[in-house]
Amino acid sequence: MSTKQVRYEALVKALHTDIYRYAYWLVQDKQVAEDLVQETFLRAWRALDSLKDEKAAKSWLITILRRENARRFERKRFEMGEYEESSITDTVSPSTEQELENHWLRARINEMPVDYREPLVLQVIGGFSGEEIAELLDLNKNTVMTRLFRARNQLKEALEKTPLKRGTHNG
Amino acid sequence: MDELQFRRRLYEDPNAQDAEIVAARKDNPTREQFAKDIEALDRDIAEALRVPVPEELSDKLILRQAMASHQHDKRKNRVHFALAASVAIAFGVLFNFLQFSSAYTNIGDYALAHVYHEEGVFSNDGEAKVTLASLNKKMTSFNGVFASQIGELMSADYCRFDGIKSLHLVFKGETAPVNVFVVPERTEVSFTSAFEDKRYHGSSMRMGDNHVIVVGEKNEEVQKWRDNLSNSTQWSI
Repeated sequence: MSTKQVRYEALVKALHTDIYRYAYWLVQDKQVAEDLVQETFLRAWRALDSLKDEKAAKSWLITILRRENARRFERKRFEMGEYEESSITDTVSPSTEQELENHWLRARINEMPVDYREPLVLQVIGGFSGEEIAELLDLNKNTVMTRLFRARNQLKEALEKTPLKRGTHNG
Repeated sequence: MDELQFRRRLYEDPNAQDAEIVAARKDNPTREQFAKDIEALDRDIAEALRVPVPEELSDKLILRQAMASHQHDKRKNRVHFALAASVAIAFGVLFNFLQFSSAYTNIGDYALAHVYHEEGVFSNDGEAKVTLASLNKKMTSFNGVFASQIGELMSADYCRFDGIKSLHLVFKGETAPVNVFVVPERTEVSFTSAFEDKRYHGSSMRMGDNHVIVVGEKNEEVQKWRDNLSNSTQWSI
């Protein structure tokens, strides 16, 4: 097996989970997210020689994925339209309390504007700093921090209004 | 750091651990509690964001890449094959060009080159072993017939010299063999009725669809050979 092959498989194993989750929250559709990840990794394979720093691999893949997503919009004016609860809600009915919480929180995150959601996902799932997110999204750092603040603030407020969570997060 | 700033900083990054934040949390139970709540919220957010990843996605990614690079290799192989084929064709064309295109612009040069090429193959002491019948058999492809022998014929063979298929007759001459070539007429080789160099001289004529060329040493009466040829042959077109 070539060293390129070894590198590629290591990259897939280490990062496909995070990349898929980022894609899912970006496009809010399991199938589209999976296609996007497939396309991203295929492009990554072709351009693997240009990846010099393994530490930069995740942000490199995210950059490819964002470009791929933008292309998808150019290609067929993909009409996501308004967020449709039915397409996003899990069909599996949550049973445990933790699952119930997850389910509820996912719905709230899905309702959030993508401008807030994206930095949040990059910070929590991707583990990127404010500066790194700013660079990835081509925004200045203050804008990123404001969006992160608003994202959490929205969730916190929603939690406080909800009987389900009252008592847990009423600070 | 005031209260609002403190809360905002934690909303922006619940894991902020810089000196300012640490100092602000220290000895302030309300803030400490707030920080803990936000950390808890972030754990929940993280849990919620961890949507299930399709099973075997990593296997699919590796498989897809393997297929793609296999396709790529196949394409590369096809390109290599096409390249090799092109080179082979180019060589073929070049070879044909060199082999079958005439390096001589007139029939005299051609005949002299042919004679020099086979110099030493025939000697004037050779046996006249070719019969009229076998000569005429060879003549059929040039649509010509010898009515009688015009001399002692030592050799009659087809030869492809400079890409031209010709009948090469070697007769016993005065001191050296006399060569007679029967060559199909070719547009790229111009006709010259008489030619010579230091050693040989020759004469050519059109007979049927062919050029018939006589080449002999300078002491040879080429004109006589030529006349004999015209008198004893018949050509159909």
